[in-house]
Amino acid sequence: MSCQYTQATSVDEAVSALVDANGEAHLIAGGVALVILMNEKLVEPSWLIDVSRIEALHGIDRLPDGTVRIGAAVTHREIAESQVISETFPMVPEMAAEIACGRIMNKGTIGGNICLADPQGDPPIAMLALDATMRAAGPDGTRDIPVREFFVDLYTTALREDELLQEILIPPMKDGSVTAFGKYAARKAMDYTSTISIAVRLIRNDSSGNLNEISLGFGGVGQTPMHSEEIERMLTGAAPTDALFEAVREKLFDVLEPIDDHLYSANYKRHVSAVTLRRTIMKAYDGTWEGEGVLIR
Amino acid sequence: MTMDVTLNVNGQEHKLAVEPTETVVNILRNRLELTGTHKDCSMGVCGACTVLMNGRPVSSCLLLAPQADGQEIRTVESLEHDGKLSPLQEAFLTFGAVQCGYCTPGFLMTATALLEENPKPDRGEVIEALKGNLCRCTGYKKIIEAVESVVGQ
Repeated sequence: MSCQYTQATSVDEAVSALVDANGEAHLIAGGVALVILMNEKLVEPSWLIDVSRIEALHGIDRLPDGTVRIGAAVTHREIAESQVISETFPMVPEMAAEIACGRIMNKGTIGGNICLADPQGDPPIAMLALDATMRAAGPDGTRDIPVREFFVDLYTTALREDELLQEILIPPMKDGSVTAFGKYAARKAMDYTSTISIAVRLIRNDSSGNLNEISLGFGGVGQTPMHSEEIERMLTGAAPTDALFEAVREKLFDVLEPIDDHLYSANYKRHVSAVTLRRTIMKAYDGTWEGEGVLIR
Repeated sequence: MTMDVTLNVNGQEHKLAVEPTETVVNILRNRLELTGTHKDCSMGVCGACTVLMNGRPVSSCLLLAPQADGQEIRTVESLEHDGKLSPLQEAFLTFGAVQCGYCTPGFLMTATALLEENPKPDRGEVIEALKGNLCRCTGYKKIIEAVESVVGQ
């Protein structure tokens, strides 16, 4: 099948190609997910719009109000090495440094990963825990979508067919916030299948030891990268005790919706998710779980 | 629809009319007769097709020709100069880091990029850099030893 290729040089050019293509185009940035699907003949694009060379989709900046802006076409490698991000949100470069392996980090982009909306993706759940905003560009200009409304179904986002993800905005955290990322993977590299991951942002009350605020992202346990206000409510204001984590574990068995795969059963994933959640919370809370990098198998 | 791209491969410019969906690994092997770059999983998982783009390892099976347009590509063929293997290639022979050889070009390019960026990696950094390349013969030990042997050279 013949395919048209647009090497877009501006957001406007990419958006107008999207409008012309009327839903028939695929956006490509690093290509590390899309080209797999093409090689497998699961996707046979008739029009590819390459956004990787659009300058407005690059760069990592701290805005005057403390928000960190990451261009959608920034690679995982750039994020892993970013001083600007690590100063404020150290969990994000730690997470990016453990994606697949070096040659995928060199090409794959944060925007591509988020827009793929793979339930096992790591960047999406980091953004869920950090309450990031997804800024989309379309024919009528830009539109801000809270990350908690962004992942709507398996491999499906809230972006319309004539929109692209332009940048990700991570708001400054309240004083006293700490973050951690935890991952339970079958393999250290290329951990594509059966990976359970957890992203945590929390504020600890230093006098009572309770969790004042907590925000979570869950990977590998549902149709989309997931969050759960129910679980967050259970943890908020509580002390991180055995009893609390046992109650959370029971609730997770209702809330999460993992599937069986060739390595792990759905129930095993629920169990691992509860264990990983506890370890990751404790890593953020007081460092009592010392995992290897972000892997805490 | 074909499009014109310029691939700079091992210092040589190739102006090519390509289908936009052609992958660089197929172009290297089938059109430029650079068959040192091996193709295996076509999913970015195994590392056999690793080439350097602008000095950094990438999976050439996941790289479309227009993505590489105007970029500098280096393949395993670039390591040998005037019939002389690079020190890393020599070390792979000396240490028996090659058995069936299918994965070898990918390991060589990944390790070459590591040593260019970080000339004195420790063992942990070597293992970390090579973690995405699969070898089903050697058990990795000899590959890691071969890379370590040229550190500082």
